[in-house]
Amino acid sequence: MTLKAHLLRAATLAAVLLAGVSAASADATLDRIKAKAKFTVGVILSGAPFGFIDPKTQEQKGFNIDLARALAEKLGVALDTVTVTPPNRVQFLQQGKVDALLANMQVTEDRAKIMDYPPTVFDRAGGAAVGRRDSGIKDWADLKGKPVCVSQGSNFTQPLIEQYGAVVKGFPSQPESLLALKGGTCVVAVHTGATVALMLEDRADEWKEYGILIPTEIVPADSVVWIRKGEKDTAAALDKALRELIASGRLLEIARANRLLNTAFIEEQQKAVSAAR
Amino acid sequence: MQDAIRGFIALAGQVGLNFDFLASPFELRMWLDGMGTTLVLVALTLPLSLAGGVVLAAALTSGRPWLAGPARAYVELTRNTPTLVQLMFTVLVVNMLISQALGGAQNNPFGAYFWLVAVVSLHVAAFHAEALRGGIEAVPAATVEAARGLGFSRLEVLRVVELPLALRTALPAIVNNLVNLVKLTTIGYAVAVNEITYASLMIWTQRDNVVELMIVLLLFFSLINLAVARIGAFVERRLAVPGFGQ
Repeated sequence: MTLKAHLLRAATLAAVLLAGVSAASADATLDRIKAKAKFTVGVILSGAPFGFIDPKTQEQKGFNIDLARALAEKLGVALDTVTVTPPNRVQFLQQGKVDALLANMQVTEDRAKIMDYPPTVFDRAGGAAVGRRDSGIKDWADLKGKPVCVSQGSNFTQPLIEQYGAVVKGFPSQPESLLALKGGTCVVAVHTGATVALMLEDRADEWKEYGILIPTEIVPADSVVWIRKGEKDTAAALDKALRELIASGRLLEIARANRLLNTAFIEEQQKAVSAAR
Repeated sequence: MQDAIRGFIALAGQVGLNFDFLASPFELRMWLDGMGTTLVLVALTLPLSLAGGVVLAAALTSGRPWLAGPARAYVELTRNTPTLVQLMFTVLVVNMLISQALGGAQNNPFGAYFWLVAVVSLHVAAFHAEALRGGIEAVPAATVEAARGLGFSRLEVLRVVELPLALRTALPAIVNNLVNLVKLTTIGYAVAVNEITYASLMIWTQRDNVVELMIVLLLFFSLINLAVARIGAFVERRLAVPGFGQ
């Protein structure tokens, strides 16, 4: 074989391998969950109320963890959590390291192209703008040309830039972004409403000059459980479990126990799901 | 141009690579800006680190404790702590204190970009300084003595005798440091400086096309560093003194 042919073969092999990474093979996730008697969920520990490590007990806590546990119970298996981050979460799912993601990921067109989700929505989350009360920001349109801090990977980035003309600065995670806000790097920081509302309430002293400046949330989107593309049985099983959790009021309990300050959406879902039964 | 981009996206799609983001003007601009920013960062930090290295090396070998002491302390501090931590500390903590001292962030002229350039160049300067110190100490004592005997001042000895010879000895180590410096600019991602890693990260966290952007990142830095290493080798050949150091 000539050198060129060798190179060509190597290139084809590399391309095939890479293609394999992007489009993981469809294995029967549900069978595997049952066989292992374990439901492996990728969770993000980016802060209360969704997911965090309790400083006293070193245990994982939060809404996502409790919801994952409740889902595992409904499936009749044990829960196993794997900590993921925005850059690696989709790879973890596609490579089969986790069976599902409860990683603060709302439905977007791009995500729906490469992953699936059980159709039942368990929450709705949008972005709230935290800033100094004396900053004069009252509306999303006031952010035009102003520096805005977000977490890297937040889905508020694109609307902030494209719709409102803000200069977005993405920090590795929420604590850095909020520290940058305090240091004056940005006029506001935009994060998931439930997270910042809880922080402002819990650390009122430290944040007394700050508040949620804009009454509306940016791009409120549906929170769902993400699974590998084409896993129909898993989707059906999780959907059934979610509907049961919502109808029985268990989801609302979990939300209240984890101090999600706004549970209006979950209450509405409970009514809707109960009515449909 | 638009057609060429679409063609490339389709071609990449056929081998399973998702380059859809190129069709989005805001992401494409951010990505190209990122490449530009990385190149500007390299162009700024490279000469600054060399200048800092020479000054530090001169202080280290000056034989004057009030100069050598602080220089040594600085070299140890910066060499022994993670650069990422230094950067986050300066941007998130030191900068906030400066803002407070100046009565508000609007009076603070320094931003994340300034601190990135400062931290990266001064960090690598410490490594240059150690390489140059080795070179300066390798200059034969007899040569220095001869220069002194000819009436050269201390600074003149450093400038026309020690440094030129030290540079030749230290050059391989310095080029090594420069290759590292190019890669070190990527820590800008942690403080939202729009260099290429940050731009890629902002795109792949939206589109989950990590593999695709990683490939481009690796190629991009390989190319820059290939150029740095080639230029380094060329300078080494040009500066070689026949017979010296053999």
